[in-house]
Amino acid sequence: MSKGNAYTVEVKLRPDYLDAEGQAALSLLQGLGLNTARDCRTSKLYELRGPINMAHAQLIARDLLCDPVTQEFKLVGPSAPVLNGMNHWRVEVWLKGSVTDPVGDTVRSAVAEMGLPQPDAVRAGVAYHISGKCGRNQLEKLVARGLANPVIHKITITETHP
Amino acid sequence: MTPELAAAERPTTAPAAPETFGFLQKPAKELSALSSQQGWSLNEAELAAVQAHFKSQRREPTRAEIETIAQTWSEHCKHKTFTGPIRFTEGKKTRLIKSLFEETIAKATKETSKPWCLSVFKDNAGVVAFGKKWALAYKAETHNHPCAVEPYGGAETGVGGVIRDILGVGLGAKPVLNTDIFCFASPEYAGELPENTLHPKRTLRSVVAGVRDYGNRMGIPTAAGGVFFDDDYRLNPLVFVGTVGVLPTWAVKKEIKAGDLIVAVGGRTGRDGLHGATFSSAALGDDAPSSAVQIGHALNEKKVLDALLRARDLRLYRAVTDCGAGGFSSAIGEMAGDCGGAKVTLENAPLKVSDLTPWEIWLSESQERMVLAVPPKNLKALQEVFSAEGCELAVLGEFTKNGRLVVSHKEEKVVDLDLKFLHKGLPRVERSAVWSQPKAAATKLASGKKLADTLRSCLAHLNVCSREWIIRQYDHEVQGGTVIKPLQGVRHDGPGDACVIWPHAATGDMDDFAGFAVSHGMNPSYGKQDPYRMALACADEALRNLLCVGADISRAAFLDNFCWGSPEDPQQLGALVRAAQGCYDAAKGFGVPFISGKDSFYNQSKDVNGKDLAIPGTLLISALAPVNDVRRSITMDIKNPGNALYLVGETGEELGGSLMAQVHGLSGGVVPEVDVKTAAAGFRGVAAAMAKGLVQSAHDLSEGGLAVAAAEMTFSGEFGACLDLDEIAKSGPIYSNEVLLFSESPSRVLVEVKPEHESAFLKCMKGAVVRRVGATMANPILKVIGLDGLVCLEEPLSALKAAWQNTLPGMLK
Repeated sequence: MSKGNAYTVEVKLRPDYLDAEGQAALSLLQGLGLNTARDCRTSKLYELRGPINMAHAQLIARDLLCDPVTQEFKLVGPSAPVLNGMNHWRVEVWLKGSVTDPVGDTVRSAVAEMGLPQPDAVRAGVAYHISGKCGRNQLEKLVARGLANPVIHKITITETHP
Repeated sequence: MTPELAAAERPTTAPAAPETFGFLQKPAKELSALSSQQGWSLNEAELAAVQAHFKSQRREPTRAEIETIAQTWSEHCKHKTFTGPIRFTEGKKTRLIKSLFEETIAKATKETSKPWCLSVFKDNAGVVAFGKKWALAYKAETHNHPCAVEPYGGAETGVGGVIRDILGVGLGAKPVLNTDIFCFASPEYAGELPENTLHPKRTLRSVVAGVRDYGNRMGIPTAAGGVFFDDDYRLNPLVFVGTVGVLPTWAVKKEIKAGDLIVAVGGRTGRDGLHGATFSSAALGDDAPSSAVQIGHALNEKKVLDALLRARDLRLYRAVTDCGAGGFSSAIGEMAGDCGGAKVTLENAPLKVSDLTPWEIWLSESQERMVLAVPPKNLKALQEVFSAEGCELAVLGEFTKNGRLVVSHKEEKVVDLDLKFLHKGLPRVERSAVWSQPKAAATKLASGKKLADTLRSCLAHLNVCSREWIIRQYDHEVQGGTVIKPLQGVRHDGPGDACVIWPHAATGDMDDFAGFAVSHGMNPSYGKQDPYRMALACADEALRNLLCVGADISRAAFLDNFCWGSPEDPQQLGALVRAAQGCYDAAKGFGVPFISGKDSFYNQSKDVNGKDLAIPGTLLISALAPVNDVRRSITMDIKNPGNALYLVGETGEELGGSLMAQVHGLSGGVVPEVDVKTAAAGFRGVAAAMAKGLVQSAHDLSEGGLAVAAAEMTFSGEFGACLDLDEIAKSGPIYSNEVLLFSESPSRVLVEVKPEHESAFLKCMKGAVVRRVGATMANPILKVIGLDGLVCLEEPLSALKAAWQNTLPGMLK
């Protein structure tokens, strides 16, 4: 079997739509004591691995994973964290590899149904884009307490551009 | 790189020799250490029995064999406490209970001997007749330990598991209703919690989300349930999930013949949830394994459901059961026990990852899998049905009748067990239980507070307040048969007693208006003082809830769910024995059989100080009864002004464990006691009046007594009421308005009757205690005239409703 490529697709609501999930996450974090958080928006992440190319990934993102009216997508690469002191945080929550990922499995079979080569594996995750001044450790602790469960999730936090 | 991929690329190794542990030579101490290290949860006597068995066979057991035995003998699968011997000491008397289950729950069912009970205690759910052609299957179970570790996934897989129980009852039933009952600590709990314990608020949110997501995606309405809050659940939350299914009467019986193929359908097998059964049979510590946690895949289960029911109607298989705790080992092990043997070849099982060892395949608890017994000639047709739904199917071997469970993987034999030893070889350990009846606490409880303030506090109390925040997340309308909904009243936001379902989506008959009602009774606060009375009160409340929507309670059936701490603690076990005796007396007295049940033990953990904290002994009684014509079922809200309000039943000074006592922090008092005979007379009268259409609305009196019940009926209907406390039938001298308003004497129902129906209503109530205690009015206030003839309480309905509605949203915003 070919090793194939890996692409990560990020799908988010267009900025003029209310992000209810982000609002709920924000109020959860604030309830846990993160009073400095001002805003939170979310995006869905899909990691596709297997015998697919860039064009396939674009097609999958556009036709399968994204609702073109309310959402937009981009392909993201594994980029190094940008430390710019802007107080914007990107928190990614993924299911650990040992945990079954029903959303990923469903996307995997849906890709095959589109007539494209079936990826070897698809994993789904969520990214929270949080703006507000806070410490990385504090954020990590509160995310583990409110938005994710370290028993099944892996959490990565990076400081980013808005 | 994800582990799946890493696994897929790894070349499969040649079969190694089966793993053994030098089991035969180990002294008892080392065996115990090995057992806890491997997570088998086998005790010393059980380990000794396993050792003796394999010594007689002159060979070492394989790992898969010990794992199979550990799963099969776990508390989860064998219910050791309920079926084992208990030496019960009560005061100075000691007696031996051979099997608590046989002597209480099952005995009651036998003695009530109802011909409409089609299958009790032996299948995956209890089954009762529903009309001539159909039957109803009901099962409720708990998923407590997984929900404590990962509430969302735990709740999801709990719902998924109980739905599969319904798919696996008889030849499979179509699920038409999900129920959910939770016990949590207060969402505002501010005390310290151990390192790995989730805050109750987080647990509540995630559990509700899990139940919601799985039930909604499966297209099954979640329309009945409840929540009970007590801070002693902070380390061990309880999550009860239930499902009701409809199946044709011809599909109630299953039968496996030797030569039938063992066919696994549904999801693939992975490394999910290993040791689920043994995990749930041990107390929860800091080292709770993440492999015991799973995430549900509702869409997979929906495919299994659709394909399975089609295959059932084509009569393509002879038996079905679900893969729950213990995975294939317990599903195939149980079916082999019924048939007399099985020969399994594991290499055919479809896997998620290729590096699973044979014992992991055998024990894995991957979700959404079912096992069928299929006559070989039907295999092709079955394959077509399942592939049409995009659902995988694999033949794992065949059933035999040589009395052995033989499992192999490629050339390697991983299990070869005598079924008799596996199912009957469990050594019985006698447990001791102690109960000392608490002295009748004659203390009179009085708060001295303003009645209006007490009423508002009672309505705002976590155990009474509106559950709309939870209920509205569930789809309770899907399938289009929810006749009486969980929220009632003119604005669809008042509390309901029970839900009524018209299962036309399953029967396909739009001209038959028969339906059924489901309700619950639970009150651990009573149990803290008197578990016996708690059991009676739970049964009484569940029945009254059914009665209030117009169900036929002469054909009601009960389910029991016990959640307790450690059965090795004689005090706790003593309380359990008392509660089970209460169940027997209630079932016998009301003539209502138990048809299914489940227990969950070891719900205790170490708190921050390292002390064991057990949950309060919790009994949930779920009740199911047919509604002969769903168009005549009624809701609890006041319908019109100018109607009479009748109170059925007597009021006594019974405030022990009551809501009023909790609100004011009072202890002691008398726990409400059910007088089954009087209660049954009252219920019969109300049922007769309802059948004649003489009742406008009815509501049971439970937590908070008359005051809370009257407030709920009035603010839901938006018509006021005036009550006169002097008119209430009292079982003894009572001189306090507070007692009359807030006493929780059981078996009482508040009924609204039109003036022109009053005499006919009273005729129906012959032989029962009933008094006209007031009337409804257009003015939207609740007004109460006290014993001295003066108005003792007058509150606008809007204020009462606001108090009732604001609690949960305020805490969970």
